[in-house]
Amino acid sequence: MEALRVEKLSKDFGGVRALNDVSLSVAAGERRAVIGANGAGKSTLINLINGEMPPTFGRVYILGKDVTGMPVYDRVHLGVGRSCQINSLFLHISVLDNVLLALQATQPFRFQMLRSISKYDHLSAKAQALLTARGLWEKRDVPVVDLSYGEQRRIEIVLSLASAPKLLLLDEPTAGLSASETSDIIELVRGLGRDISVLFISHDMDVIFSIADRITVLHYGQVIAEGTPKEIRANPKVKQIYLGYKEA
Amino acid sequence: MDFWVTIIVMGLSFSVLLFMLSSGLSLIFGLMNVLNLTHGGYYLIGSFVGISIYKWTGNFLLAILAGGAVAGIIGVGMERGFLRYLPGQLLDQVILTMGFLFIFTNLAKWIWGPIPQMATPPSLVAGSLRIGAYSVYLYHLVVIFAGLIIAIVLWFFQEKTRYGAIIRAGIDNREMIMAIGINFNQVCAWVFFLGTVIAGITGVIGLPLLGAYLESGSEILLYAIIVVIIGGLGSMQGALAGSFLIGIIHSFSKAFFPALAFFMMYLIVIIILLVRPSGLFGKRS
Amino acid sequence: MKSLELLFHKNRVSLGPYVGVGLILILLPLFLSPYLLYLAAKILIFAIFAMGLNLILGYTGLVSMGHAAFFGTAVYVGAFLTVHSGIENFWLVALLGVLAAVLMAALFGLFIVHLSGAYFLLITLGLSQLLFSIAWKWRALTGGDDGLPGIPRPDLGLPLPMGDDTYFYYFVFLIFVGCFFLLYRLTDSPFGHALVGIRENESRMKILGYNPWRYKYVSFIIGGGFGGVAGVLYAYLIGIAYPGDIGLMASVMVLFMVILGSPGTLACPLIGATLLTTMEYVVSIFTPERWPLILGAVFVLIAMYFRGGIGIYLIRYWRKLDLGHGSPKS
Repeated sequence: MEALRVEKLSKDFGGVRALNDVSLSVAAGERRAVIGANGAGKSTLINLINGEMPPTFGRVYILGKDVTGMPVYDRVHLGVGRSCQINSLFLHISVLDNVLLALQATQPFRFQMLRSISKYDHLSAKAQALLTARGLWEKRDVPVVDLSYGEQRRIEIVLSLASAPKLLLLDEPTAGLSASETSDIIELVRGLGRDISVLFISHDMDVIFSIADRITVLHYGQVIAEGTPKEIRANPKVKQIYLGYKEA
Repeated sequence: MDFWVTIIVMGLSFSVLLFMLSSGLSLIFGLMNVLNLTHGGYYLIGSFVGISIYKWTGNFLLAILAGGAVAGIIGVGMERGFLRYLPGQLLDQVILTMGFLFIFTNLAKWIWGPIPQMATPPSLVAGSLRIGAYSVYLYHLVVIFAGLIIAIVLWFFQEKTRYGAIIRAGIDNREMIMAIGINFNQVCAWVFFLGTVIAGITGVIGLPLLGAYLESGSEILLYAIIVVIIGGLGSMQGALAGSFLIGIIHSFSKAFFPALAFFMMYLIVIIILLVRPSGLFGKRS
Repeated sequence: MKSLELLFHKNRVSLGPYVGVGLILILLPLFLSPYLLYLAAKILIFAIFAMGLNLILGYTGLVSMGHAAFFGTAVYVGAFLTVHSGIENFWLVALLGVLAAVLMAALFGLFIVHLSGAYFLLITLGLSQLLFSIAWKWRALTGGDDGLPGIPRPDLGLPLPMGDDTYFYYFVFLIFVGCFFLLYRLTDSPFGHALVGIRENESRMKILGYNPWRYKYVSFIIGGGFGGVAGVLYAYLIGIAYPGDIGLMASVMVLFMVILGSPGTLACPLIGATLLTTMEYVVSIFTPERWPLILGAVFVLIAMYFRGGIGIYLIRYWRKLDLGHGSPKS
């Protein structure tokens, strides 16, 4: 079963067509990179897959299910996780509370009104595991607003993993990170099992070529190329558009 | 038939008052992200200052100028001294502006006493007018006519002038406006000032219709709020449409089922919000 | 698992200071005159009223200027049942009064809880005023601006003289403690934490998988319920139902109590209710006609210089901070 399939997706904003007739399919366990210049429609694509906005035309299938009308929060329960391009965290509460909120979201007791949250041991154990893996356990009581940008970005990624998604959407996960922080994220994604499929947007060629199995290239809202990293590197259309690429 | 004409004319004159007040409230919110619940208070100030000047000098025009000026000065003081430090903070703005409304109302009580005052329109526009078979108060017609002129002037200003374009753009996208080098702070200060002046003037114009009374601040604020919700925050057309609707409904309900007047309007608000959560002409968020 | 319990200990609210305050409240009747005890009961009732708004506003982030709608509904239902229908059993009256408040919240919440900040604020304001105008105009039902007088002290079905201010005070105190505990459990639960999440970053909550509307709606109804409990008690306390209990003024007062006490903290309702009621009492001794003026000035002061409310300073004084249970804007 495919992890993700979008068919003929288009999105209009007023008079502007941000995405035009985009179709792609991500196989189970695949790592797909979506690249393109600024304004090419990458974030719009993720927003449509995620459910944050409805498409003007086209359909979205996640893990075989047609989710085109489904609101954002319902898609999460099908197995979608997403990290945002710009950090979207709960700034004034602690790191631990941020992660607990994320973990709680897909639990049946998220509506529990009378039992203390501290009674859910497996929740706190999982939080500890997630934070320790990213080296943030010592800072668990620090309000997120007091962390460095790199640490906040790591929390952003941790939040996206909290629901144990089968389809992970990463929107520029390494934006603004130092070289070592970037390596850490690359390691994180590479360390994910093949039961998780990943679609990610990036401008960082190191990241892309380290992780991606396949690359989809967007330009002015349309798919102009798709293939393995090797194929994309050799693609004349892509080379023409991205003058900054070194000749393979 | 006389009866219907009277109701409509009275309703429309109330609509004019509402429009002048709610357009300021709405625009200030749309442009500056400031919810100014003191707006009714400027009306109150205008009406009391105006009625005193009118009684001392007999000059209605002077009263209008005085009411507008005092309200404007107080408004600028409030904005420059207090409101501009609370951008976008809804809760704090509400507390602050409610606080000033209490202060102004109580000060008015202290200065003018608790008894409402009525005023008769200046002799030039007093009395009734016969139009064909019907008889209406001349002053109501004058108010409606003035309202029409003001609406046209404002429309012209908004659609055809550069300043209007700046304001429309500012409501739409504040960062962009600042990015293209326009002194947004100054524009805001001017819009706020004009809004409060107009509210003060409205207070004077409303004297022959409603009189000067202490509850006017919160009462007319409530109507303005209903208008603004229906019409959509930030929209001049919305304020116009809403004022028209509420003025007529208010007049009709007062005539036929006075106890349910407010209820009718609230019901309409809920219905409209169900269909269009940002009001008829409001910004879609 | 023990170490994990400890890790939560720091985040959980320590109840120590609250027990201390509770003791003080228990001992109050020993050194307060009957009138001041009456005032103390009033403060506790307003604290319950503010607890509801604290949940809606402080924890969930919905700025409601119409909370008195639910309070006032319960006051009038309580008055109506005891005065017109002659129902004597307190528990029946209380049940119906709270039920009325909850239904009112459920009905209106359905249509308005999805609205954005300013529209929500304005329409709750309108709701409060709508009910006010009904209470004012519908003389046959509500007595208009004369109100509905003649509410006796409650008959609990127990041999306790509720007409005695001390007994009534302890009764109110017990209900207050019950409500406080309920609020404590609510805010400590997964539901309560989700409310804070929605307040802090609603769009992120959606991306995480929460349906914010459900949480907002439920918290709105529960908040209305607290208002209903307070309303029933208030009717019995002062013996008369009056339009002022349901209108804008009352909504603004409880809103200010929540803000004074620092929204989103457990101590907020009691601190806010105590400060505001005490202020009003003191001013009424010296210049009652200038109370709105002074109140307005305090509003301005708090809005400009104490935006997080005064509560957090008092809590810091106790050296226990409600970390992770929502931030007062600091």
